[in-house]
Amino acid sequence: MAYVESLSHSGICVHDLKEAESFYCGVLGAAVHSRVNFKTQDALRGRSVHTSLMLSDYLFAIMLSEDWMNIPPLDQLRGENRIRHAFCVPKDKFAQILQSLRNHKVALEGPVTHPETGPFGESIYFRDPTGNFLEVVWRRDESASYNEVLPLGHGGVG
Amino acid sequence: MSKDIAFSHMVVEVSDLDKSEKFYRDVIGLDLLGHNMVADNRPNALLAMNTRQRLLLVEVPKVPPYPASGGSIHHGWLLTIDQFAQARDRLEAAGYASGIDPRQTFRAVGEYNMDIIDPDGNRFQIQAFGEEATDILPSGAGVVSCGNIADHAVGDVVRNGKGRFFLSRNEDGYLAISAWCTHKNGVTVWQKESWHFYCPFHGAKYDCTGTYFGRMGCAPMRLHPVDIDEAGNISVDTNRFFARSKHDPAHVVPAKPGAKFSTAGLELVKAAVPATTSSEG
Ligand code: FES
Repeated sequence: MAYVESLSHSGICVHDLKEAESFYCGVLGAAVHSRVNFKTQDALRGRSVHTSLMLSDYLFAIMLSEDWMNIPPLDQLRGENRIRHAFCVPKDKFAQILQSLRNHKVALEGPVTHPETGPFGESIYFRDPTGNFLEVVWRRDESASYNEVLPLGHGGVG
Repeated sequence: MSKDIAFSHMVVEVSDLDKSEKFYRDVIGLDLLGHNMVADNRPNALLAMNTRQRLLLVEVPKVPPYPASGGSIHHGWLLTIDQFAQARDRLEAAGYASGIDPRQTFRAVGEYNMDIIDPDGNRFQIQAFGEEATDILPSGAGVVSCGNIADHAVGDVVRNGKGRFFLSRNEDGYLAISAWCTHKNGVTVWQKESWHFYCPFHGAKYDCTGTYFGRMGCAPMRLHPVDIDEAGNISVDTNRFFARSKHDPAHVVPAKPGAKFSTAGLELVKAAVPATTSSEG
């Protein structure tokens, strides 16, 4: 057993909040959880400008970058630029995801098949509109039982 | 896209795989699953949390710099309260200053955090919630006098800081709404510009009856009994908290002399030691 249950939230810096929100919600199916620093109390507390999104059981914030970030060339579809977020779908939904991304004209790399010794099956790689690297994977361990990811009630964006 | 999509793993670039692997295994407390378990030519290590989530470290020649404005970018680990205590010990043993939460001002009661920077400058929050995050916290203000029914107009929401409640005058009468958020004991504020209560800790919103609206499924804000005497003077008993599953107009105390709070259908959740009457308004 590890000494950590889960990642409760994470941040993705973006150049355009509206554009990012419509990508993560419209293409990946996230939902807006809250908009932070559009309210007086948030500004007074010195919070960063961000929109918190929920994607299934995961909370992540798209955070407005105050200055231009160093973005690798957009024709590079696989990479990190420090961090990459990877989302999983059941194996039998993988083709559907692939099609959905294509329908949204999202440039993709893959599918790439992972070694059978690891938990990952196949991945596709793409970027968000700012250029953050993303991945969708199906996992060989999808029927394994792990601790449940606790709902948002157990965590929040600090 | 499918509603079955969920978070799988985070890939983190590191400049020294050995060093980072030790950090995430020995200091953060992840399980090392193995090396080169993914289709990636770069040296890599896969680590596990107790849920399905994974962390993949990949060694790169140079980790790019953070944007200058990247100070608030962070990622949060969720631990149980026992794991949190163990993490503090591990952090201290490894020479990381722990026990200091530079962002304490953002925390609700019972929310514990340590911030830690990984060897390549990524900031992580280590987070746990204790039982007191959901305890009922009496203000100690006792029974609070809140003026007279002639003092308030329909739509007024008056904050009582000492008593940690809001006196809300709606068209049917009065509600005394406990200011403690039912999510995790943050203290809410009344935002007249949007006509709702807002909790700046994790963003919960409640309408002027204290009814939650949003995606976290929080219970309505709790009520304190309102009492109006024959001269129309209003008092609120902050010693008693009533939980409710939804707003019921029967709990609104009419703005009339002699009106009393009805506890029908409400659950008394905490009776603090009765205190003497205070006059703070
Ligand atoms: S304490 Fe979490 S939203 Fe109020």
